Amino acid sequence: MANNDRKIGVALTAATCSLLGMAPAASVAAEPESQQWDIDSAFLYYGESDGRVKDMSLSAHATRDFGDERLLGFDVSVDTLTGASPNGAIASDGPQTFTSPSGRATYETPAGEVPLDDTFHDTRVALNANWSQPFARLYTVNAGLGVSSEFDYQHIGANLGLTRDFNQRNTTLSFAMAFASDTIKPVGGLPLPLAQMGDTVEEEDDVVVPSRGGDSDTKTVLDVLLGFTQVLGRHTVMRVNLSYSDSSGYLTDPYKILSVVDPVTGEPIARTPAPGADGPVNVYLFESRPDSRRKEGLYAELRHDFSGKVLQVGYRYSTDDWDVDSHTLESRLRLPLGDSGYLEPHVRYYQQTAASFYRYSLPSAPLPEFASADARLSDMNAVTFGLKYGRETAGGNEWNARLEFYQQKAKAPTEFLIGNQVGNTQMPDFNAVILQFGYHFKL
Amino acid sequence: MRKLILLALACVTLQGCAHLGVQPWEREVLARDDMQLDANALDTAFDDHIYFSKEGTSGGRGFGGGGCGCN
Repeated sequence: MANNDRKIGVALTAATCSLLGMAPAASVAAEPESQQWDIDSAFLYYGESDGRVKDMSLSAHATRDFGDERLLGFDVSVDTLTGASPNGAIASDGPQTFTSPSGRATYETPAGEVPLDDTFHDTRVALNANWSQPFARLYTVNAGLGVSSEFDYQHIGANLGLTRDFNQRNTTLSFAMAFASDTIKPVGGLPLPLAQMGDTVEEEDDVVVPSRGGDSDTKTVLDVLLGFTQVLGRHTVMRVNLSYSDSSGYLTDPYKILSVVDPVTGEPIARTPAPGADGPVNVYLFESRPDSRRKEGLYAELRHDFSGKVLQVGYRYSTDDWDVDSHTLESRLRLPLGDSGYLEPHVRYYQQTAASFYRYSLPSAPLPEFASADARLSDMNAVTFGLKYGRETAGGNEWNARLEFYQQKAKAPTEFLIGNQVGNTQMPDFNAVILQFGYHFKL
Repeated sequence: MRKLILLALACVTLQGCAHLGVQPWEREVLARDDMQLDANALDTAFDDHIYFSKEGTSGGRGFGGGGCGCN
């Protein structure tokens, strides 16, 4: 117990020192325990209803303090994804056939059901390293590198940040930039914008119009973050972030399509597969998105202690030149339970407007330059309710478990519904469960 | 209860504005792990990744996330 108290004392001193931005006193720096890896690890299960996406993920965040506030951090994450995802086509009175992303097979959707592509199986590995250290008096500099890899997506990124303390370290200003360069290599090749799914044989001159061009494409993302942190009192701290993000390059989802429909009835338009081919029986076009996107965001967060209970409230506003405006409100309340446990309810609300080029389906003519039926770009709101329980072990480590429920309701703006599409259940809600087990320890 | 919390927050905020910040010896609560703005870092990283792949907006708390095909 005395040992625990000493550990807690050391941890508190270190935390206080780091908050004050002071070099730890010699006695603390000499503690062998401060020369340890602090590891936060967790297993996460994410499962959607109706056989849709399931994701299992293992993550660890390790940090080591080399003294004088010089911190090295590593993040490792592996996740594996299976299940079905809406492909963007609308439900139809008849069964529908689609070409799989590889272009070598087909999958079917029964009449009346929202088409889901169940051919996704993906494993993603992500690694990040970060270094942070004081730089002159009152300044801290940090820099990081990250990579991640999936079989159809590679990411490499770097970030650099500078913070400065003011006002007896009650105020902190920070400036950070991140740059990412990603490569997208879709299964089956890159679909051409608004090209028809399945090769089309032009009957008149027998010319095959290809639906795909090239193997891969790239996108770059530049993020800039301005942060302001302020201690408001002995029990209250807040922060406000202003963010700017500029993405350019290939921003289209290569696996999403749109149904082409009759401009009056709103019913899918049928096509005849090439002789001997097992292709789609309706006309579907691959989506097309602009090649740039600029987002601006405001994030504000307040943390307040009510005699041991900690309330956290956060709000985010985001707007971009695709016209996706969103509001997010989130709150956690940490309640101490017994000597070493805590209970933490969590609630989150999210709401967004549709992108300017979102379409539920496409009338056969005229075709717009950009169109996507991706539900993630439609009008949407979502709620999350969760509860976390954590407990400190006798050795000073912590284990925790978290269970959350997520419900998303996406809705196509009514002006895009045509004929019989009005009044049908266009996009069913989806529910997901998030289950997480975590262990925080020192090594 | 809600009014009380709002009132308390308003008081704290106003009080804070009068003389923003605390003295170094008044930081015992602020130094606690659960008062750090980056507490729950792993939870928020998981959440950011999930919401990045399911919603139209990302980032804000930190960088925009991504590095993911996320269908």
